[in-house]
Amino acid sequence: MSDTTSNNSNSDKANSASTKSTEKNSSETISTKSKLKKSTKNKGPVRTEAVIPFLIVAILTYGYFAFFFDMNLRSALEFIGYEVIGAEVDIAKIETSFLHGSFRMQGVEITNPDKPNMDMVKIGDIRFALLWDGLLRARFVVDEMAVEKIEISVPRTHAGKVKPPPPPPAPLKPGEQSALEKEALKAGKQAMDVTKNKFQGNVLGDIAAVLGGGAGANSGDDQLKNIEQNLPSKQKLDAFSKELTEKQKKWEEKLKTLPQSKEIEALGQRISTVKTNNFKSPQEVVESLQKISEILKEADSKYKTVSSVATELNSDINSANSQFKEINELVNKDIANLQSHFHIPNIDGKSLSASILQQYLAPYLAKVNHYKSLANKYVPPNMMKKGEKEPDVSMKPHPRAKGVTYEFGRQNSYPLFWIKKISVSSKAVPSNKMLGDLSGQITDVTSNQLLTGHPTVGTLQGNFPGMNVSGVKGRFSFDNRHVDAVTDFDFSVDSYPIDGRDVMNSPDAKIAFKTATGTLKTHGDLTGLTQIDFSLSNQVSKIDYDISAPNALLNDILKNVFAGIPVVDIQAKGKGDLPDVALDVNSNIGPELQKGFEKQISHKIEEAKAKLQAAINQAIGGERSKVEAQLSQAKGQVDGQVKKIEEALNTQKAKAEKQSSQAQKGSQGDVQKKLDDLKKSLGF
Amino acid sequence: MTLLLKQLFAFLKLLNSDTGTNQLATGLSLGLVLGFSPFLSLQTFLILILCFFFRVQLGAAFLSAFFFKFVAFLFDPITDSLGRAVLENAGLRPLFVSLYNMPLVPLTRFNNSIIMGSGLVGLILALPMFFIFKNLIVKYRLHILERIKGTKWWKAMQATSLFKWYNTYDKLYGA
Repeated sequence: MSDTTSNNSNSDKANSASTKSTEKNSSETISTKSKLKKSTKNKGPVRTEAVIPFLIVAILTYGYFAFFFDMNLRSALEFIGYEVIGAEVDIAKIETSFLHGSFRMQGVEITNPDKPNMDMVKIGDIRFALLWDGLLRARFVVDEMAVEKIEISVPRTHAGKVKPPPPPPAPLKPGEQSALEKEALKAGKQAMDVTKNKFQGNVLGDIAAVLGGGAGANSGDDQLKNIEQNLPSKQKLDAFSKELTEKQKKWEEKLKTLPQSKEIEALGQRISTVKTNNFKSPQEVVESLQKISEILKEADSKYKTVSSVATELNSDINSANSQFKEINELVNKDIANLQSHFHIPNIDGKSLSASILQQYLAPYLAKVNHYKSLANKYVPPNMMKKGEKEPDVSMKPHPRAKGVTYEFGRQNSYPLFWIKKISVSSKAVPSNKMLGDLSGQITDVTSNQLLTGHPTVGTLQGNFPGMNVSGVKGRFSFDNRHVDAVTDFDFSVDSYPIDGRDVMNSPDAKIAFKTATGTLKTHGDLTGLTQIDFSLSNQVSKIDYDISAPNALLNDILKNVFAGIPVVDIQAKGKGDLPDVALDVNSNIGPELQKGFEKQISHKIEEAKAKLQAAINQAIGGERSKVEAQLSQAKGQVDGQVKKIEEALNTQKAKAEKQSSQAQKGSQGDVQKKLDDLKKSLGF
Repeated sequence: MTLLLKQLFAFLKLLNSDTGTNQLATGLSLGLVLGFSPFLSLQTFLILILCFFFRVQLGAAFLSAFFFKFVAFLFDPITDSLGRAVLENAGLRPLFVSLYNMPLVPLTRFNNSIIMGSGLVGLILALPMFFIFKNLIVKYRLHILERIKGTKWWKAMQATSLFKWYNTYDKLYGA
């Protein structure tokens, strides 16, 4: 019973619960239906509800660029600068404007990693604005970029943070270098080698030795004897002599094959037997003429044989002659080499200038080569090697890792990148001697000069009053509109101080400018970043020389000579493919030194040179005369014999031609006579 | 990420419903064009605006763009050759010179061989693929979805309270 009651009560509870749940369900169903009705409402094709989120995103983006972007960009640039340069980079302010496409960076300070209290460079203001006209065409065009208030080596307000040095790399094996270093060093070394080869030897050392009487051919008689046997001219002469003897035999054999005098005389005899008058019939005339013609043909063929042999022999003799001339040149070369071997100096002004100034000029050339090798590595390949065709304005492909990007430009349209003008300026400050009053500009820095139609031109002028440097003028232009890019440059300094600059520093002599004032002018052009042609003019005045030489006599000569040179004028010209540039150096030092040395040592040098000449003459002189005689004899023999044969043949030919004309005349006379007889018999 | 996942779920839901065939097909074919276009270009920006402001199924567009990006990558050598052939065509050069020097058009980066080639492929395929996608969706609903709905596994799933709860929740608060 109790179970039944409890069951009923349970079922009531369940019923009431189910009733409640049904009620709840029904109310939920109503609200769901109403919501479903709402959600199933037809929506149009435009997503109107997207406008608000879009506006929010747009406002947030604007807000970020207006309030935070400049700050973040400044931090990013400072961080990148620190990572790249390895020292603190501070930027006072960055202002960008999306609407104006402008960028302005002020107070850029780059700490000197070696002196953290100093700034390596401080730039007051960098500003530029990209043209919207270009940006809409996906081009970056800047009308004017200004870089102002450039200061170098300025003290910092606080010491800059310097990046700790990276852990040392694994030690390189001896002689191991990075590829770039290798290339740059190689180019520099090549330039130095070229200069060294050109001005090999130390002229003042040699002169000192001659002045001391301890050098020159006098000191090496034994050596000279050994060298005589190995002289290239002697070896060549011996070989040539053998060759000439063999050739002579051949020439004689050839001469024997020529028609002999008996054969030529026989031709003459045959001609004299031919009938030339009293012809009985026309057939006789024809027969005579035929015989003469055959003899003439034979004579002609013999003449041709003689001529061809004569030409052949003459060309052989000419080639032997030119070989002989080469030997003579080799002899001169041997003399020069021996002169160098025995350190016999050439006391001519040009050689002296070149030799003394090699140390002064070689580093400049090495530097040019160093930068050239870097340019080879980093300048875009399409700028270095463009092929042989002139570039086309309307289509310029840029190879990329993904596909090829073409530039469909036209004259005067915007290139991909173009800064029309960069203005650079700096102001001298009394507290910093390194600062100068400089102003300059670079125009038309662009990715495609064909479109802009202008080369990139840079100019710079100013003074460094703190360093007593005045009249600095520089100009360069880079024209990449043709197959070979052409760079030309002019640089001049009206006046600059020289302190303790070595002109020459060797164990034999030291010549230096203790103090002086210099003027420099240089001009040059570089074609295809390879062919260089430059000239340099350097005048040094108000000179206080520092001259010393261990050899007392040389020391006196040098001091006396330089005391008479108040202005040193150095003119250098270089032309050629880098790094093999032929350098031509001229200076007034050379002729002055020449005069100074000539009095003291010219007779000694001439004596030594004469000795060398005598040694060479002894070594090859006899053989040379013999060969010369052999050659002239062969030539005389060939010429004489050929001429004789030619003359004999010509005589016989003339005789045959005369016979032929006589025969023709004789036949005409006989015919006339017979005609006259016939007329008489007929009573005319 | 949440937004992206939400869009992907919405795509699956719409795909398995009876409506939105055109929205889905449009999304998929616009996604195809997106997949064949470079990320940083004017056309990508325009298509995204289009997807955003018109009732195009975004999940479908993103999924399709993701898939066709890989397809475009595989076809790069072919599209590169096609692009070069078009860009180097002498007859079309005056047109390209004009387009290159017009405002905005260079922002499409049409002057790159791969972009030109894949852009052409994308544009040519967009319309026929719209109809193909539409047809495929209808067939999917008719054959595959109905078959899945008929399986015991699906019926058992529908009977679970979790499914009922999700269904009610989705009807009330779902997109």
